[in-house]
Amino acid sequence: MSIEELEHTADIRMRVSAPTLEELFSEAARALMIVMYGCPGVGGKSMNVSAQGHDIESLMHAFLSELLFLSEVEGMVFSGAEVIVGGNALEGTVKGEPFSPEVHSGGQGVKGISFSGFCIVHEQGSYILDVIFDV
Amino acid sequence: MLQGISRTGPYEWEVPVGFVPGMRVPANFFLSEALAEDLEPGAVQQLANVATMPGIVGRSLAMPDIHWGYGFPIGGVAAFSLEEGVISPGGVGFDINCGVRLLSTPLREPELAKKRELIERLFRAVPTGVGGKSTLRLSAKSLDGILEGGSSWAVREGYGLDRDILMCEQAGCMKEADPSSVSQKARQRGMPQSGTLGSGNHFLEIQVVREVYDQDAARVFGVFPGQICIMIHCGSRGLGHQVCTDHLSILESATKKYRIALPDRQLACAPLDSPEGKAYFGAMAASANYAWANRQMIMHYTRKVMEDLYGIPYGEMHLVYDVAHNVAKIEEHSWGGSRMKVCVHRKGATRAYGPGAPDLPPEYETTGQPVIIPGSMGSPSFLLRGTMTAMEKTFGSTCHGAGRIMSRTQAKKRVSGKEVRETLAQRGIIVRAPSDAAIADEAPSVYKPSAEVVRVVHEVGLSRMVARLEPLGVIKG
Repeated sequence: MSIEELEHTADIRMRVSAPTLEELFSEAARALMIVMYGCPGVGGKSMNVSAQGHDIESLMHAFLSELLFLSEVEGMVFSGAEVIVGGNALEGTVKGEPFSPEVHSGGQGVKGISFSGFCIVHEQGSYILDVIFDV
Repeated sequence: MLQGISRTGPYEWEVPVGFVPGMRVPANFFLSEALAEDLEPGAVQQLANVATMPGIVGRSLAMPDIHWGYGFPIGGVAAFSLEEGVISPGGVGFDINCGVRLLSTPLREPELAKKRELIERLFRAVPTGVGGKSTLRLSAKSLDGILEGGSSWAVREGYGLDRDILMCEQAGCMKEADPSSVSQKARQRGMPQSGTLGSGNHFLEIQVVREVYDQDAARVFGVFPGQICIMIHCGSRGLGHQVCTDHLSILESATKKYRIALPDRQLACAPLDSPEGKAYFGAMAASANYAWANRQMIMHYTRKVMEDLYGIPYGEMHLVYDVAHNVAKIEEHSWGGSRMKVCVHRKGATRAYGPGAPDLPPEYETTGQPVIIPGSMGSPSFLLRGTMTAMEKTFGSTCHGAGRIMSRTQAKKRVSGKEVRETLAQRGIIVRAPSDAAIADEAPSVYKPSAEVVRVVHEVGLSRMVARLEPLGVIKG
């Protein structure tokens, strides 16, 4: 599994890879937290999460948008997700800790998850997501 | 320059139909040779992509701060026919009505004592950064008031003066706002963030008017050399971001429903007269109003600090103007000999209405509207005025800022936030931010030189330089 930042002039472009689709969702959640807070959360406070799309890419887009919303309104920094993907929907939990300005001020606000250049491919045993976060 | 692009003037370039499949009109952009060195192929591709959208009128346009964004390029302008055209969140961006306002004070530079204390007080008065929350507890009714009323709501609630309303583009309120199209999620995000600066490139800056280029216009705008001014740059916060996210998803489905072929999913759109298009337009207008109220409240907090610290009467600090640089609006323009109403999308571009245009306060009828171009920490900002050339060439639009030339990854490798802060301190510029990481991301060297971008719009005549302002203190979001 890996999270890598790619070059992008205006925003933040990330490449996330994982051996399974479910793990890709968890790693993508961590990537979003790294951008927003400088590091993913730790700790085990868990919350339910669900999302729907009309294909796997729109499902990932909806999932990340939901985490952005939950993180902001619940004041949570997530450490990862445990989700079950069925068709173009998912259900599961996200875990994390409450936002603390002392620990989580190393990142920047994400305005949204862009559809430009957004793609998921499956090659050589890995699922790979490319995503641009508008900051 | 990239293959296939031709030069049509000293600063004007054309991307012909056929550069990408499906272009309905050519695309044009404005750049000097110096700025052309940093032009990204991805930005030109995005500019050409916009030209494929249904109902586009005249040209797909980009200002000299063009750079690679998502959907439209940043610096992009496009007008769409009300009958055959579309509306797209990709032409507005996530930060709906991100914009800038300039507040003038009667204070002169030598009178700016206690600068560090001023910065600290402003930093405490205006919540900033990731997780920054307002001390204000809005009711659902008040939020509806903001979404419908914008600046007027804020002034009615005691956050400013009646004159402030007229000194905003569109009088700080889009009448087409439809709060019922703003989701509960967007409202939840908007409730605790009213009157907060946000993060990223948003800022509140103490500036000095260093040079005046157009004495007559400067007099009308109320600015003079050596004067202390305050610039506020922010948008519609989480509420606007959520509106974009919500409607992007709806419009992605609508794109398929209306069988619109697009080269980029972020350009998802719907006909302006469709239910989906109308819903996005109403929600976007409501978000724009939230942003105007937001900047009005931040300006109020600023005035209170200045009043308290320097004894300047509240009413002697004047709003010069407030401009939006991420918005879609219905405007009347002439193109190809016809006068028509169009939906102008400006994504990282500023309205630059010339003398005699509608929607200008009486004071500015002969000068054209003030155009405010923010620099970045350490680099100058500019005050310009709108022109008739902009009305003729760019649907009354000009640039919005400097435009990045370096990614955040490169910026962090090159220089630390601490180094940037210390270097600026040596030049007498105090920077206050929630973290040093936020400072490194926005270091002056990561942007195109704002002076060159402004020189190009001045030379082309899309707006004319009135004054240059330099920073003395910066609060970074």
